[in-house]
Amino acid sequence: MTVLSILSLPFVALLLSLWNSPVIASDYHENLLLQPLPQSSLLASFNFRSNTSQQSFDQQHFRYLPRALGQILQHAHTKELHLRFTTGRWDAESWGPRPWNGSKEGGTGVELWAWIDAPGDDEAFAKWITLTQSLSGLFCASLNFVDSTRTTRPVVSFEPTGDHSVADELHLLHGTLPGEVVCTENLTPFLKLLPCKGKAGISTLFDGHKLFDAAWQSMSVDIQPVCSPEGECVVQIEQTVDMVLDIDRSKRPRSNPIPRPVPNDQLVCDTSKPYHADDTCYPLEKMNDKAWSLTEIFGRSLTGVCPLADSDGSSEQSVCLRVPHERGVFISEAAEEFKKEDGFTRCFKLAPSTSFDLSIPQQPVNTEVPLDEPVLHAERTIVGHGQERGGMRIIFGNPSNTSAIDFIYFESLPWFLRPYIHTLRATITESNGLPREIPASDIIKETYYRPAIDRERGTQLELALSVPAASTVTLTYDFEKAILRYTEYPPDANRGFNVAPAVIRILDTAHNAPVYIRSTSLLLQLPTPDFSMPYNVIILTSTVIALAFGTVFNILVRRVVSLTEAEALGAQSLKGKLLGKLVALRDRFRGKDTKVE
Amino acid sequence: MALKSAIRNLRNNPHLLFVRLPNLLSFLCIVVGVVWLLLLPLNEYSRNTYISENALLPGQVHAYFTGSEQNIFRGYKRELEGLLNEGQERGGQKDEAEVTAAVSDKVLSILQAAGLKVATQKYEYTSAGITHQGENAYAIIHAPRGDATEAIVLVAAWKTADDELNLNGVTLALTLARYFKRWSLWSKDIIFLITPDSKSGTQAWIDAYHDMHPASVQPLPLKSGALQGALVIEYPFEHRFKSLHIVYDGVNGQLPNLDLFNTAVAIAGGQMGIGANLQEMWTHDDSYEHRLQTMFRGMTKQGLGYATGAHSSFMPYHIDAITLQPKGEGWEDEMALGRTIESLCRSLNNLLEHLHQSFFFYLLMQSQRFVSIGTYLPSAMLIAGNFTIMAIALWMRTGYYPETKPKTETKKPSDEKAKSNAVAERKLALPLSLVVGLHLLGLAPLWIFNNIFHQYFKTTTYIFMIVDITLPLLLSSLLSTPLALKSPIIPQQYHLIKSFSLLLLGLSLSTLATLNFSLSFMIGLLCAPLTFISRIQGSAPFRCITSALGLVVLNLLSPPTVLVGVCWYAGVDVETVLTQAAY
Repeated sequence: MTVLSILSLPFVALLLSLWNSPVIASDYHENLLLQPLPQSSLLASFNFRSNTSQQSFDQQHFRYLPRALGQILQHAHTKELHLRFTTGRWDAESWGPRPWNGSKEGGTGVELWAWIDAPGDDEAFAKWITLTQSLSGLFCASLNFVDSTRTTRPVVSFEPTGDHSVADELHLLHGTLPGEVVCTENLTPFLKLLPCKGKAGISTLFDGHKLFDAAWQSMSVDIQPVCSPEGECVVQIEQTVDMVLDIDRSKRPRSNPIPRPVPNDQLVCDTSKPYHADDTCYPLEKMNDKAWSLTEIFGRSLTGVCPLADSDGSSEQSVCLRVPHERGVFISEAAEEFKKEDGFTRCFKLAPSTSFDLSIPQQPVNTEVPLDEPVLHAERTIVGHGQERGGMRIIFGNPSNTSAIDFIYFESLPWFLRPYIHTLRATITESNGLPREIPASDIIKETYYRPAIDRERGTQLELALSVPAASTVTLTYDFEKAILRYTEYPPDANRGFNVAPAVIRILDTAHNAPVYIRSTSLLLQLPTPDFSMPYNVIILTSTVIALAFGTVFNILVRRVVSLTEAEALGAQSLKGKLLGKLVALRDRFRGKDTKVE
Repeated sequence: MALKSAIRNLRNNPHLLFVRLPNLLSFLCIVVGVVWLLLLPLNEYSRNTYISENALLPGQVHAYFTGSEQNIFRGYKRELEGLLNEGQERGGQKDEAEVTAAVSDKVLSILQAAGLKVATQKYEYTSAGITHQGENAYAIIHAPRGDATEAIVLVAAWKTADDELNLNGVTLALTLARYFKRWSLWSKDIIFLITPDSKSGTQAWIDAYHDMHPASVQPLPLKSGALQGALVIEYPFEHRFKSLHIVYDGVNGQLPNLDLFNTAVAIAGGQMGIGANLQEMWTHDDSYEHRLQTMFRGMTKQGLGYATGAHSSFMPYHIDAITLQPKGEGWEDEMALGRTIESLCRSLNNLLEHLHQSFFFYLLMQSQRFVSIGTYLPSAMLIAGNFTIMAIALWMRTGYYPETKPKTETKKPSDEKAKSNAVAERKLALPLSLVVGLHLLGLAPLWIFNNIFHQYFKTTTYIFMIVDITLPLLLSSLLSTPLALKSPIIPQQYHLIKSFSLLLLGLSLSTLATLNFSLSFMIGLLCAPLTFISRIQGSAPFRCITSALGLVVLNLLSPPTVLVGVCWYAGVDVETVLTQAAY
């Protein structure tokens, strides 16, 4: 069998290449965008995109689309898949709007949503479980814990991005694991899905140490069918990795990663201060942009070009950098630089099989790359204290002075957090800074609410909201914390329970694609027993039963009579007499005296 | 057999059973309770402290806060000092607000330059007619890779709990903020909170953090996740220090988790070589007397339940917090304190769960010796139990053992002997209403003292003292005058009044003992004579003398007298104490 299959391989390959030639859609692109951000951070945004024709996908002929993933999709009848691994938080205040408008990132931990083709809800859920179990194995993530309590079916928060045929009965299922720690074991399978597998091209920069040292990082896998107007369909897989690296931290050598205090002579001090002396230093924070190079930041250099990538036009320039054009940038000799018209972007064409490095010297900053203002600020916190009940507070700030903003707010809450929707209140703070309570219906256009069922499903709440210009809206509601069963607590119960981040989808006509924002995840403290308690209870009850039961039983069963009464009793019958004798004998034997005066 | 005959004796002698025995038992309870407490400092009854939460790993990391960080510390300090002196030169009082604003701006700009997210919060509180107002400045280091679910708080107040200028403490917090920002190992956010004073500022901030603040306090514009621990830095002098004084008492007798205290002691003593003190015991030779003294000081603070520092405000929200105060003249400098705090933060950063492993109820008698609730609780419970025993005895007595001695007001039933086994009818209306009414009356002083202005505290106290002395006399004369009541009061009702009062007292004290042992113990001891007072019989002059003596004793032990007495003993003004209490 093995020999046969090996022998048949060249033939199959030949056949496949013949098959392949008429299909034009099979292609692969990869791109890296580097953008320095304020506060000495650097956004590195990797994008890998490949297409496979629907026909070859259906025939299980996989070239760029990884077979492992393709077969899972086919098995689970999944038409469109979105998988996100995220850690950290995006600091919108200093870093501006999110990369890809937030559409390629998830909430903290793992987030997965998919459109599944199934005749009914139950079948869809069964397929969904198949999908999560398989993905869990593929990505080394605890996705198998996405059970019915963590699965929701959002109504308006997500829309399919691919082009689906009308015949499909699509069901959207969405699951999150907010407590999942994303680490190298998720990166390795992620890299294996790439055609060049981290051996050539921009994916050679992935180093687990640097990637997971980032202040924020997000990995995503999106698979969707894309159809051209002519009706030719391809299955597109897009993998992205976005990370914000701290330049100072990344530049520290791995041999000496500890940020020890710098030697006295390397301190940058404000010498204009009158008290400035050898031992007194008012630190001067650097106003210049930091110098950095690819090798310093990523710990390795970029080797070659992925030979599978298309070598036509723009996709050839696989590394782009967004700094003002007047800034000097040094690149390796073999590479070519192309400056774009917008004045900030320049892209580099890399030479195959040579390593590429890029370095920016320290320069005074004259112009900066403009960062757009985020369209919406959102913050969600748990308020109140105590083990019994609490409150949720969500703040939406609209920075725009002119236009109101419409968006959809979606949150899925675990079943042990029981919200009281009737307590939903809205407070608006307009430009005068005075908070004013308004009826919630004034800003909530629509509500989709599916209450929780204990141990079966969580709460699903979707609100279509509108926040007026230059104002801040605060939504609050109260909730009650359920008491779990003894066995339902996780091993680290006292840490609290993670509540999945809320997803905000902004319906903005200015952007073609929707803008997504996710809040931070929350930690919910539930009433938690001291787990040594059950053992104490067992020990105590055993002792009490052993001591008390014996005594009480003794008192209940023993008959205390006076000597005369005993005699009278005993005299009644022969049996009694005998018994009395026996008892007397036994008592004497034991040296007991039951006589009562 | 001896026991049996004793029981038989008791049954035959109701006077012994209902009158003498309860007295004896109650007295025994009190004596055993007190002796129990005195035994606690012995090695056999107390335990060495230990770290229960393994994740803390105190002192396992090297602290790097040295070298050029000290230059920066001096730089920041000179900068702030310059601003403060400028205010004084320009003439103090008038420009105070201006100077505060300038200093606050400087603090914020330093924190912002270090790369932290900064915010401010204005607050205003009014208590006892005094307005506390100010502006908190705080900054957050976002944990790299963190997701804002957990945070640690470092607090430095401009005024320490003893109202001294805490310039070194604030500067140290700023330097640490700049230093911590460089580390990437933080798993929790670190919040640096600079408050104008040690009480209202932290209170306002923590209230607003949980959205429990009154309208006069601004909400927080910047927040993080669940707070896992708080450290307060105080360094209100210029010279070098010898040892660290760890203050841990919270409001209403709440205590932080013992693990936090132990970690601080382990890091200060074990890693840094700085001695750790507690309860202002500067020289502690680990002798019985010193242990007992430390324990009593701890109990006094717990019993009085007032805020002992900025950390106290955190306790009601179940956030474990301690204050670190450098004390004495030695050779440890601010960098040593900084390293201690760094190491403590690293330990707290290691926590995977909220501090829960170790004890929340304990009495410390030395920095490394404590007794836990299981060992000390019987002491207060016994004292509370003595009231309950007496109350039950009195209840039985009213039912089963009518007074044998004829009273002028009562008609003695002739066939008493026959009825001795039957339950006598109890007249409950008057005793119940009297006890409930008198306890409700207690709300009046509570409300008054919480709401009047501080200038009137002294007068009010004296008024209440007079009321306290006269009201019982009035009431008793009213009760014993046949004219005032339709039917004259009988001894049974006296006993019932006492029974109910004692029952209520015993009940409240035993409940309180589990929450605030020290308070329960103190109240229990002060109320102990109540168990033993009874109607005095004998000749008229003897009766007069003893009852007068009893009255004096009871009045001496009444709350206002104790308050004034303790104030006089400690040399504090009543007004100050009450202002503190009303806060």
